[in-house]
Amino acid sequence: MTAPLPTMAASPLPPPDPQFVLRGTQSAVHALHFFGGARGQERPLLLSGSLSGLVHIWSLQTRRAVATLDGHGGQCVTWLQTLPQGHQLLSQGRDLKLRLWDLAEGRNAVVDSVPLESLGFCRSSVLARGQERWMLAMPGRGSEEVQILEMPSKTSVCTLKPEADAKPGMPMCLELWQADSSPRPLLLAGYEDGSVALWDVSERKVCSRVACHTEPVMGFDFDSQKARGVSGSAEKALAVWSLDEQQALQVCRTHELTNPGIADVKIRPDRKILATAGWDHRVRVFHWRTMKPLAVLSFHSATVHCVAFATDGLLAAGSGDQRISIWSLYPVRSDASTPLLGHAEGGEVGAHALA
Amino acid sequence: MAVFDTPEEAFSALRPVCVQLTKTQTVENVEHLQARLQAVSDSALQELQQYVLFPLRFTLKTPGPKRERLIQSVVECLTFVLSSTCVKEQELLQELFSELSACLYSPNSQKPAAVSEELKLAVIRGLSTLMHSAYGDIILAFYEPNILPRLGFAVSLLLDLAEQEKSKQIKIAALQCLQVLLFQCDCQDHPRSLDELEQKQLGDLFASFLPGISMALTRVITGDFKQGHSIVVSSLKLFYKTVSFIMANEQLERISEVQPKAAVEHRVAELMVHREARWVKNTSDKLTILIKKIIECVSVHPHWKVRLALIELVEALLLKCSQSLVRSAGPLLKALVGLVNDESPEVQAQCNKALRRFADQKVVVGNRAFADILSENLHSLATSLPRLMNSQDDQGKFSTLSLLLGYLKLLGPRVNFVLHSVAHLERLSKALIQVLELDVTDIKVVEERRWNSGHLSASPETVAPQPWSPMQRRYFRFFTDERLFLLLQQLCQLLGFYGDLYLLVDQFMALYRESVVYRKQAAMILNELVVGAAGLEVENLHENHIKTSPEELREIVTSILEEYTSQENWYLITCIESEEVGEELTMKQAGLQAITSGAHTCQVTSFPAFSQPSPTICSMNSNIWQICIQLEGIGRFAYALGKDFRLLLMSALYPVLEKAGDQTLLISQAATSAMMDICHACGYDSLQHLINQNSDYLVNGISLNLRHLSLHPHTPKVLEVMLWNSDASLLPLVADVVQDVLATLDQFYDKRATSFVGVLHALLAALAQWFSDTGDLGQPQEQSAGEEGSHLSRRPAAPEKGLGNSTTAEDIEQFLLNYLKEKDVADGNVSDFDNEEEEQSEPPKADEHDPGPDVAPPLPVQIQIATHVMERCVHLLSDANLKIRLKVLDVLDLCVVVLQSHKNQLLPLAHRAWPSLVHRLTNDDPLVVLRAFKVLRTLGGKCGDFLRSRFCKDILPKLAGSLVTQAPVSARAGPVYSHTLACKLQLAVLQGLGPLCERLDLGEGDLNKVADACLIYLSARQPVKLQEAARRVFLHLMKVDPDSTWFLLNELYCPEQLTPPHPSLHPVHLRGITGQGNPYAANVLRLLQELQ
Repeated sequence: MTAPLPTMAASPLPPPDPQFVLRGTQSAVHALHFFGGARGQERPLLLSGSLSGLVHIWSLQTRRAVATLDGHGGQCVTWLQTLPQGHQLLSQGRDLKLRLWDLAEGRNAVVDSVPLESLGFCRSSVLARGQERWMLAMPGRGSEEVQILEMPSKTSVCTLKPEADAKPGMPMCLELWQADSSPRPLLLAGYEDGSVALWDVSERKVCSRVACHTEPVMGFDFDSQKARGVSGSAEKALAVWSLDEQQALQVCRTHELTNPGIADVKIRPDRKILATAGWDHRVRVFHWRTMKPLAVLSFHSATVHCVAFATDGLLAAGSGDQRISIWSLYPVRSDASTPLLGHAEGGEVGAHALA
Repeated sequence: MAVFDTPEEAFSALRPVCVQLTKTQTVENVEHLQARLQAVSDSALQELQQYVLFPLRFTLKTPGPKRERLIQSVVECLTFVLSSTCVKEQELLQELFSELSACLYSPNSQKPAAVSEELKLAVIRGLSTLMHSAYGDIILAFYEPNILPRLGFAVSLLLDLAEQEKSKQIKIAALQCLQVLLFQCDCQDHPRSLDELEQKQLGDLFASFLPGISMALTRVITGDFKQGHSIVVSSLKLFYKTVSFIMANEQLERISEVQPKAAVEHRVAELMVHREARWVKNTSDKLTILIKKIIECVSVHPHWKVRLALIELVEALLLKCSQSLVRSAGPLLKALVGLVNDESPEVQAQCNKALRRFADQKVVVGNRAFADILSENLHSLATSLPRLMNSQDDQGKFSTLSLLLGYLKLLGPRVNFVLHSVAHLERLSKALIQVLELDVTDIKVVEERRWNSGHLSASPETVAPQPWSPMQRRYFRFFTDERLFLLLQQLCQLLGFYGDLYLLVDQFMALYRESVVYRKQAAMILNELVVGAAGLEVENLHENHIKTSPEELREIVTSILEEYTSQENWYLITCIESEEVGEELTMKQAGLQAITSGAHTCQVTSFPAFSQPSPTICSMNSNIWQICIQLEGIGRFAYALGKDFRLLLMSALYPVLEKAGDQTLLISQAATSAMMDICHACGYDSLQHLINQNSDYLVNGISLNLRHLSLHPHTPKVLEVMLWNSDASLLPLVADVVQDVLATLDQFYDKRATSFVGVLHALLAALAQWFSDTGDLGQPQEQSAGEEGSHLSRRPAAPEKGLGNSTTAEDIEQFLLNYLKEKDVADGNVSDFDNEEEEQSEPPKADEHDPGPDVAPPLPVQIQIATHVMERCVHLLSDANLKIRLKVLDVLDLCVVVLQSHKNQLLPLAHRAWPSLVHRLTNDDPLVVLRAFKVLRTLGGKCGDFLRSRFCKDILPKLAGSLVTQAPVSARAGPVYSHTLACKLQLAVLQGLGPLCERLDLGEGDLNKVADACLIYLSARQPVKLQEAARRVFLHLMKVDPDSTWFLLNELYCPEQLTPPHPSLHPVHLRGITGQGNPYAANVLRLLQELQ
């Protein structure tokens, strides 16, 4: 790790603890997603997908599972996403099914399902454009393909296939997005060879591609406002890359880690910090702008598979030890203009976290 | 009864007596008349009223001295006539009134004439009857201004009588008569109610008498307590009836400023009073003085009926004269409020009724003036409260606080006017804090220890339905009366109910934080405030009062809880640290002695045995109380919030459970009762249910706190308590925590092993208990059946019975067959059939449950845990700390029990633990040896064959050797020896050996070793206990090998000469000596009897 912070020696603060821990999934946790809680006073719900194919819905108020969804035939649930317009949940499972659930008013029924054709670990992505229609990107039939569907009609928009000479391997992670200025949907995809590519979906061509890692990209997150993204892979480094006006990707910097293997990367909705899920059982927290390491959260006793942020700033980490830890770090300020992680706060957590 | 129904008949009957009376006025004649009158019907008498009255009035009017006796009989007769007739003419009424009044008048003085008491009574009754007999219209006409002088005369006469007379009867009669005269009679004969104008006229008239009446009555009321309560009650009644009539708001409102010209003569007009504003003010000023006097005197009157009458007075005056007597309202309310907590339930009830009535009618809140007066009173009371609490005795404090309570009840939501004044709030809270100060010098509080481990015994059924009943007696520094505490509780609840809860909680939280001195009291007050705010024990007198909403209350409770359970307020030193760590008896006792010896110095200065940083007894006592109060608070909060408290369980349950495992009896009691309260509030059936349902919250707390063990050293305790009080459903949840515990143990095995071993013990005990059923039903039976099968040969079919009974031919045949078979085995003919057979039978058995033949089934969680724990035990067995070694042996014992059905796990571990165990058995403290022997027995029971050769090789020689060497010592020793460790050791070995031999199925040589070692203990010289134990060893040996045992015993002592059944056989001679002096005789005889 980088040079220790000056306050480290002086401060005897104990390492940070999770705010609380959710138990009861009875199997490894592979997907996490916060749901609701943005507008209303109610605390958000947390959705978790487990190796045993169950999706648990947790109330963060009572800290207990309020419902369990069983729709993937005992196969691992790898991805969870709610749609903005309603109480609808998408879950992706290793049983080669994408299920659409209706969660409104306490219901939990499968309303639709999309067959998957790739057995990889690639998580899908959703771009909601309007109330009715939304776009879904998922790994396609061919091992290198990404398929784009128009939902809810399930009509195939296109299949994005790399040029024949590129050979990037399987897609590992996807992110659909749309710049504020243009109506064209874009897709970021991380590939098995460690490269990240930007696709223009409507033209079905790669705008730009950059090799970020030497190992497969395991997870990335993209900050569309700053046009910057961060990716983690099986190797010992994080890569930060950016997108310029010409839609060209370029690696800004890489950040060395002590242990290899990042399973997931998430930037907090307020774009101040980011968290990584490590194979070394640890969650690492970085300052997003400077990439300064802020904290190493060690609690789990097995690989951390996924991390997720709630809109109110809570961080959840799911791990192979069947536990989900909930952390409250650097509370989100309502006043966005003040620079987050000023001296006092940053110093404090940083000091004990890096110990 | 009436003989003369018609006036004619009556007239003819009465005429002679009337004439006679007119002629000669004697008592006899009056009595004749009266006798005749008895026989005349009422209607007839009404006709003849004037005629009959004439001779009587004549007698009264005759000038000249008269005998009192005569007058009395005349008045009585007159009264009789009047009581049966009506007076229909106003003239007659006036004249009779004057004539009767005159009877008591002495022309010489202002005082009533000095006449006999009987006469006075007769006259008073006469007057009273007269007023009752007057016809409705007549009586109103009677009260006209002109009558004023005569009426005044009568009134003053009666007042004089009421005040001066000795006779209670006369006094009461006079007071009642006054009531009649003043038109306030409460008998049934006045059905007609007066209209407003008539009321006003009467009021005008009576106003003249008000000063006289009120002052005279005040004198009567404030007179000696001994005069009897009925007089005071009557006087009070008369007082308030009169005053409330004359000063009634309704009447005074109609009085015009200018006095109307009344058509009366000047002399009378002077007497008349005009009740205009100035008069009202003056009068009310004077009345206020009187009322104050009355209240002062009556509110402490010993008779409750008097105090009851006072309530009526207050009620009447406040309801009817609220404006005219506004200056008296303060004292009146104070009187009422002071009676809220009267010792008489009737008075209390009446008082509450009155208060409720005031509240209902908005007398207080709706009326600005009243509220002002109350607030003012409360202000001044709050100001003087600290001083009063300091100086008064219990009784004084009680009445002061009752008063305060009453004000709060009356003011209701308006109490905030007072609370919002910083100075007053400050004074009020300081006073409460001061009076609630606890006495913390009691040594017992610190001394008492909880001895039984984790089981929380109480169940909801055993606790009273009112879970908040204070179960722990508290001693306060400034009062001893239990009632005062209840009163204070009520007070705080009312404050919480009506007051601004945020403000109050802030105030008391500030005090809580300010100083340790205030902390306990502030916590007590906070607890009650919250209960009050929930409105559960408060009767709401003010309907429009809005209670604190449940959400707000929950928020407040959450913040208080946070404060209570914060590091610095929850983890207080309650006992001396060494005690904390040490859990064994010896240590504890030493600690206790240390405390007791220093206890006497407690009050004088700080504890000398400990230097400054060490806690004193007082401070530990105080800490214990603080924790108890906070625990009680949690219970109270649960009670206040009801089901809503479930949301707080995630933060509250863990700390409570932590305290439930505390060593201090008081704390663990308080914690248990808090948990009971939580059960009641949140709808759990039992503590177990509560813990089970919320084990996820607890586990969360435990696993997070385990990460910082140095900060939370009590964490293992919580797990322990949880395990003791839960069931198998808990296991999946705790599984990962157990892993954490083991990991932490590995990390801190040198420092915190004690507490962890405690947890492991609890864990394994729980596992053994939870999974005992499956263990018993499954493998062990198999096991014992296997043993049975393979070694059946060596045993007689039914050992106990078979030995004594006659042997049948079949038995002998069976025996021979078995013998042959055994011989074969011994010769090696069936070599494969022996011990390995069992171990081979093991895997197929397990395979039956397998889904697939290749995949080993995952072990049950409890087995995994027990395996892990046993691994740790192997290492900890050689810990330097004696206590830990002992505890670890217990854990090991339990591990073996849990693992008994999984030999594949148990045997390798037993193998690893063996060397260490042998070491414990042979080279350790006697205590440890004892405990290790226990483990050995269990181990022998669970995996006998595995242990046999090891036992014979490593242990038996040592045990036998020690038994042999110790035998002479114990044989010589006196009675004290049985209490020594050495003896206990011998005993344990002897007790253990028997079952072990049987379980392990030892070979002949080893059995002989055992028998030889134990034989010496059959001597009568040995302590009785050891003899018994030795006998038991032989009983076990008999089961294994009865014949050789028989032989051995006979070698020692042979009770009878054996005669051969046939002379051709050699006579057998056994070496046993048959003398009287044989010390083995008794025991051997008993054993041989068993064998027969």
